[in-house]
Amino acid sequence: MAGGQWPAVLVISPLVGAALCLIVGRWAPRAVGYFALGVFTLVSVAAGFITYTVSAVGSFSYHMGGWQPPWGIELRFDEFSVSIAVICLVGWLALMFSLHYVNHAVPEPRIPYYYALFLLCLGGMNGFAVTGDVFNMFVFLEILSLSGYALVAITGERIAELAAFKYLVMGAVSSLTILFGIGFLYALTGSLNMTDIAQRLSSVEPFPTGVAVAALTLGFCVKAALFPLHVWLPDAHAIAPSPVSAVLSGLVVKIGVLGMLRMYQVLYSARTFDLGALNTALMWLGAISIVMGAFFAMVQEDIKMMLAYSTISNIGYIFMGLGLASTFGIIGATVHIFNHAIIKATLFLGAGALIYQTGYRDLRDLRGIAKAMPVTSACIAVGAVSIVGIPPTAGFLCKWYIALGAIEAGRIFFAITLLFGALLIFVYYIRMLNAFYFTPATHPHLLQVGEVPMTMLIPIVILAVLCLVMGIFGRIPLSFIEPAVIEMLAPVGG
Amino acid sequence: MEGLWNNIDYAASVVLFLIGLYAVIAKGNLVKKLMGLNVMETAVFAFVMATGIVTGGDAPILGAGAHEPFANPLPQALILTGIVVALSTTALALSLIIRIYERHGTIESEDLWGVE
Repeated sequence: MAGGQWPAVLVISPLVGAALCLIVGRWAPRAVGYFALGVFTLVSVAAGFITYTVSAVGSFSYHMGGWQPPWGIELRFDEFSVSIAVICLVGWLALMFSLHYVNHAVPEPRIPYYYALFLLCLGGMNGFAVTGDVFNMFVFLEILSLSGYALVAITGERIAELAAFKYLVMGAVSSLTILFGIGFLYALTGSLNMTDIAQRLSSVEPFPTGVAVAALTLGFCVKAALFPLHVWLPDAHAIAPSPVSAVLSGLVVKIGVLGMLRMYQVLYSARTFDLGALNTALMWLGAISIVMGAFFAMVQEDIKMMLAYSTISNIGYIFMGLGLASTFGIIGATVHIFNHAIIKATLFLGAGALIYQTGYRDLRDLRGIAKAMPVTSACIAVGAVSIVGIPPTAGFLCKWYIALGAIEAGRIFFAITLLFGALLIFVYYIRMLNAFYFTPATHPHLLQVGEVPMTMLIPIVILAVLCLVMGIFGRIPLSFIEPAVIEMLAPVGG
Repeated sequence: MEGLWNNIDYAASVVLFLIGLYAVIAKGNLVKKLMGLNVMETAVFAFVMATGIVTGGDAPILGAGAHEPFANPLPQALILTGIVVALSTTALALSLIIRIYERHGTIESEDLWGVE
């Protein structure tokens, strides 16, 4: 079987490692971080092998415990599953960043729990990305969501528990609608395997399919924080420790998008269901998200709050690309999932480094910080330029593709919205860079602080370099994902 | 109307789901919100369980006296997992509520808006 036993390593080792973290934390509290990093290195190696196999021999599937689908649980490795590569990359760097950061942000007795939850969250995402079984997908979704709620509350800051509770209530409601959708699909088709469901759906009436699709879409849109279902996001992402914010904002919201992509895969191959209304809705909500997210971000003074609202804008770009349902649009959206993860992780880790050294998180307090922390500030600047979408950075390419997709679909209005959104995003990131570089310091003593320790600086620099590299060599992920998208759209004449 | 009567179990779970959703949205007390969430969970579980019912079905265990048709055991297995998930969500939410109460002295969302 292609890929050997690496798929099992990928899914199981973070879960086992998380449990072991608590034991290691009992007798060697200082070593937990390194232990978690070690476990996740193993996971990343597995992800690397799998990514290599997919790119060399194409998609393959792995049957857990040797049970054949549709009875057993199938792990499916196709072009969309390769999101495990970016999950592992960002997750690994965020874990490395955590080594120093947690001592400052998380109360000491909670540190083993922090790493255990972090591994659970990353492992849940890996599982979600590769599973080919809809109920298994729900289980992984809950693993990553629950550990996410707990990670938001872990700092014990003033409103951390409130933010976590708000996140939990919205997250749990959306999980239930997803479970309802899955149960409905099962009632309609009698199967839980995605490939099998796709085949059996062709003989199901459009109306009941529509109910299931509506339930799943609603659930995934809450998870992805699409406007107006975003209200849980800003507080939760701003209050969490910075490495967690990087993972939540870069990866966890993308799980909702990935869920939508999986659903689209099933629906496109079932061929019977008309996606027109859904696509139109996603397109409009995406466009509104872009503009509203940008307007909210503009009035924020808290740096992490601003980044959190910027995530809502970018999720809008992705959903708009999906809703356009043209080849370019979907390619742009999928690649933006990858690129935005890297860019947002750069920005959140950079913001974390500033907060770690200065203790301030307000833009007005952080004025002139570029003189004291030139490397971190430069990395944040690269991230900001990239998220605006100025060539030749990573953000440019996907936004360009989504714009091309809008033109291809004959929706010029959406291409204009996209450009207008980029302009708005430009305004508030310029405001941030202006504060860092060109304004005299509010607190002169801040100019004495140095750079952060190496274990924190290296992840930021790697991510910032990737922001540039992904822009220059952006053809590689694009050409990788292109055949999958064309194949997916083929039945409806993409 | 007859279609509704034949599917009364599905209709009941949808009504239950909406009652729970109402509580989550409209109630100000965090514990009541959580109870609304639990009602919603029960509704979804009841719905999925109902899909596994086979009229006159026997327990799907082979052995002496087993006869067809069999009830579908898969929904029960799924919902067992679902219950575990719901349990952990509830536990986490309750512990968050305790912390919120310790810190702010209230669990009414109107009073909590001020502290954010």
